[in-house]
Amino acid sequence: MLGELKNKHNAVEMHNIVKEFYDVRANDDVDFFVKNGSIHGLLGENGAGKTTLMNILFGIYHPEEGEIFINGEKQDISSPTKAISLGIGMVHQHFMLARPFSIVENVMLGRKSRKGILLDTKETAADLVALAEKYKMKIDPYAKVWQLSVGEQQRVEILTALYQGAEVLILDEPTAVLTPQEVEGLFETLREMKNDGKAIILITHKLEEILSIVDEVTVLRDGSMIGHVEVNENTTKSELTKMMVGRDVLFNFNKACIKTGKEKLVIKDLKVLNDKNFLALDGFSLDIHSGEILGLAGVDGNGQKELCEAITGIRPIEAGEVKLDTINIENKPPIVAINKGISHIPEDRHITGLALGWSLKKNLILKTFKDNTKFGLVDEKKIEKRWKSAQVDYDIKANSGEDSAKDLSGGNQQKVILARELGSHPVILIANQPTRGLDIGATEYVRQKIIDAKGDGAGVLLVSADLEEILQLSDRIAVIYDGKIMGILPCGSNVKNIGELMMGKKLEVEENEK
Amino acid sequence: MKNKLIKNLNQLLLAIGIIILSLLVGAIIISFSGNSPLEAYSTMFNGAFGSKQRFMEVLVRMIPLVIMALGTSVAFKAKLWNIGGDGQFIVGSILAVSVSLYSGLPPVIGVPLSIIAAMIGGALWSGLAGLLRVKFNAPEVITTLMLNYIAVYLLSFLVYGPMMDPLGSKMPQTANISTAYRLPLFESGNRLHMGIFIALFIVVIMVFFWKTTVGYKIDLLGQGEKVTTYSGVSVKKMIVFTMAISGLLAGIAGWTEVFGVQYRLLEGITSGYGSIAVVIALMGGLNPIGILISGFFFSALLVGGSTMQRMTEIPYSIVEIVQGLIIIFIIARTAINFKEIKNRITRRLSNVK
Repeated sequence: MLGELKNKHNAVEMHNIVKEFYDVRANDDVDFFVKNGSIHGLLGENGAGKTTLMNILFGIYHPEEGEIFINGEKQDISSPTKAISLGIGMVHQHFMLARPFSIVENVMLGRKSRKGILLDTKETAADLVALAEKYKMKIDPYAKVWQLSVGEQQRVEILTALYQGAEVLILDEPTAVLTPQEVEGLFETLREMKNDGKAIILITHKLEEILSIVDEVTVLRDGSMIGHVEVNENTTKSELTKMMVGRDVLFNFNKACIKTGKEKLVIKDLKVLNDKNFLALDGFSLDIHSGEILGLAGVDGNGQKELCEAITGIRPIEAGEVKLDTINIENKPPIVAINKGISHIPEDRHITGLALGWSLKKNLILKTFKDNTKFGLVDEKKIEKRWKSAQVDYDIKANSGEDSAKDLSGGNQQKVILARELGSHPVILIANQPTRGLDIGATEYVRQKIIDAKGDGAGVLLVSADLEEILQLSDRIAVIYDGKIMGILPCGSNVKNIGELMMGKKLEVEENEK
Repeated sequence: MKNKLIKNLNQLLLAIGIIILSLLVGAIIISFSGNSPLEAYSTMFNGAFGSKQRFMEVLVRMIPLVIMALGTSVAFKAKLWNIGGDGQFIVGSILAVSVSLYSGLPPVIGVPLSIIAAMIGGALWSGLAGLLRVKFNAPEVITTLMLNYIAVYLLSFLVYGPMMDPLGSKMPQTANISTAYRLPLFESGNRLHMGIFIALFIVVIMVFFWKTTVGYKIDLLGQGEKVTTYSGVSVKKMIVFTMAISGLLAGIAGWTEVFGVQYRLLEGITSGYGSIAVVIALMGGLNPIGILISGFFFSALLVGGSTMQRMTEIPYSIVEIVQGLIIIFIIARTAINFKEIKNRITRRLSNVK
C-alpha cells in the first residue's frame, strides 16, 4: 500500500485506524474518507469512537495501526501543531479560549507577530473582520471572551481555525450548546465554507443535523465503521438509527397531552444566587401539577441548575416561596425535601448523584440509611434484597451490588440513581439533564422511566437543554431565559417559538397559540 | 460475604508486603551504616518478643496507639486530615488529671468522671479545629497541627506552674494520682494494665460503629461534600461532629496512658504518639481490625527498636527510617496505578507474540 497515490480529491483519508485504551479498542480498523468541498457527518452513539478518531486526525492521539493521507500524501500527524500546519483545524466540545482576553488576542495567541516584538493587533483584527464577513459571521474583534454567549465563543473558535489556514475543519458536537436559531447561523457559515472548497467534519449524534446539512455520513458503532452513506432526500432517520444502534429504536413515546392533576409544587418570585453570587434566578415563578411532565427548555446556564438546587434545599433562597401543597419548604435543609417525597436526578451524577467510591448497594440507600437499619445497625440483608430487585427492575448491568459505582458506564450509573430516586415513589421528581451523555439505548430507557413516574402520579420537572427531549416528553413546556420564565406553551408547540423564547425574545405568538 | 473476605485478605497481604519491602530497604541502609541488618532485626525481634516482660511492654505501648489510631481513622474516613492527635491526647489528659487530683470525689464517681473529662477535652480540642474549618474555611491540617503546639506549651505551663507537685523536688510534673484512681495492673512488677481491655473494647465498638447510620454518614462525607448535601446530611454539622469523635478517642488514649502507666502529668507525655497513630491508621486501611494488627506491629517495632539501641551499636533512628519507608510505600501504593502497569505489560507481551 505504501507509495500508492491516493485520490487527490479526498481531503482526508484514514486507513485501517486502530486505537486502544487499555483493553478497549476505541477504534477498530476504521476507514474514513472526506472529500474536498463537502460536509461530512461522523455519526455514532456516545463511546462509539467518533471523538477518538478525530483526535487522531488532529494529532492528539497516536494510532496503534493505520495510515493517514492528507490531499493524497501520506502524513504522520504527531501533534496538533503538525495537524495545523497541514491545514487541519478542530473546534472542541469544550472551548479552549482565554476568557479575560479579547477575541483578537485569543486568535493571536501562539502566533508570531508580523511586527517582530510589537503586537500586530490592528492588522489581525482587520483580517479577522474580513474573514468573518466572508463566512457570514458577525464579530467585534475587541470584545472580551467572557462577555460572549456560547454561540459567539464557538464562532471565535471557528475563526481561529480558519485564520490558522484550516482547509479541513473538525467540529465536535457543535450544536449541543446552541439554540435552534444559532444552529441555523452556524449551518449557514458551514455552507459558505463548503462552497469555498473546504472540507468540514461534523461529529454528532443528532440525526436532524445529518439530514439537514450533511452531504455524506460515516457511521461508527463500538469503535468499528458500520457504513458510509451519501445523504439525499431518500435517506431516512430510521435507516441511520439502525446503523448507529444496530436495531430499531422507538422515537415516539405515544404521548397524549393529558389533562393534568392538581397543583402540587408552587414556586413564586424566586430569587437565587449562583456560585459567583450573581442572581441566577430573578423573580422565577412556576407551578408543577401532579401527573404531568413539565418540560423546562432553555440554553444551559440560564438558572436551571440553581432552580433544581433551590427546590431541593441544596441552595439557599434569597427571596420568594416554594410550596409543596400548602407547606412552605423554601430554605429548609435538603432532608426536608427528601422526606416530603421530592426526588432529584442531579445534573452531575459523578459528584452529586453518586458516592462514586461506594458500592452500588450503598448508593441505593444514600438517602434512607435510617429506614434500612436493624437494632441501630445497617441491615445488610435488607440492602442486598433491595439491590437484587433494583437490578432487575432497572436493568442495571453490574456483576454484583458490591461493585463500585465508579466502575459502571454512564448509563448504568444513571439507572442506579433512577432506582434510588424513583424507588421511593416520589410526589415530585426533579430531573435535571437526565439523559445527558447517555447513549441512545439508555436514553430511551430513562425517558420511559420518567413517563412511568408520571403515570404513577408524580409531578415531573424535566430540565433539559435537548429540545427534542422536551418536545417528546412534556405535557407543558416552560422556557427559561436569564433566570426568568419567558413563557409556558402547551405540548405540540412550534419549535421556532420555543427557540425564540430560549433566546430571550418576547412573543406575541403566545396569543396565537391560545 | 466471600468477596469481602478476599478483599480483607488482599489488604492484609498488601500490608505485609509493604512491611517486608520497608524492612528490606531498611536493611540496605543499616548495612551502609556499617552494621549487620540481620543482627539489627534479630535484636529488634528479641527486644519485642524475647521474654514475657518484653511482650507485655509491647502491649502497654499498643494501648494508647491503637485507641489514637482509631480516632485518626474516624477523621480520615471523612477525608478530614486530623493530625492533631497529640494535642487532643494532652488536653484530655489535663482535664482527666484535674478531676482526679482536685475534685476530691470518691473513685466510684471520680473515675468515670475522669474518663468523661478526658473525652470532653479531646473532643473540644479537635472540635475546635472542625469549627474553624466550618466557620472560616481554615484547613484542619494546619489548625490541628497548630493546636498541638498550644496543647504542648499549655501542658508545660501547667506542670511548671499551677499544677506542679507541691511536695516534689521542682520536677516538671504533677503529683501522683491516688492509687484508687489507677487502672489495675495484671501482676505487680509489670506495667501491663487493664487498659488493654478498654482498647480491645473500643476496637469492637468501632467495628459496629461503621455499620450505624452515623458511621455511614461519616463515610459519606469522605465521598464528597456535594453528594453528602444531596443525600440530606448537613456537611457542616458532620465535619464538627466527626472531628469531635476523632478527638474524643485521642482523649481516651491519653486517659489510659496517664491512669495506667504514668499516674501523673509530665512534659512530653505523648512521646509523639500522634504521628505514629496516623501511620497505624493508614496501614490498617482505616479498618478497626486492621488498625489493631498494625498497631501491634508498630508497638513491637518501637519496643524492639529501643531494646536494639540499648544492646547494640545500631541507632534507634533506624526504627524511624523503617517507619518513614512504610509511609512512603503506603502513599506510593495509592499514587501508582498497578492495574495500568499490569495492562501495559500484558499488552507488550501479546505484541511480542
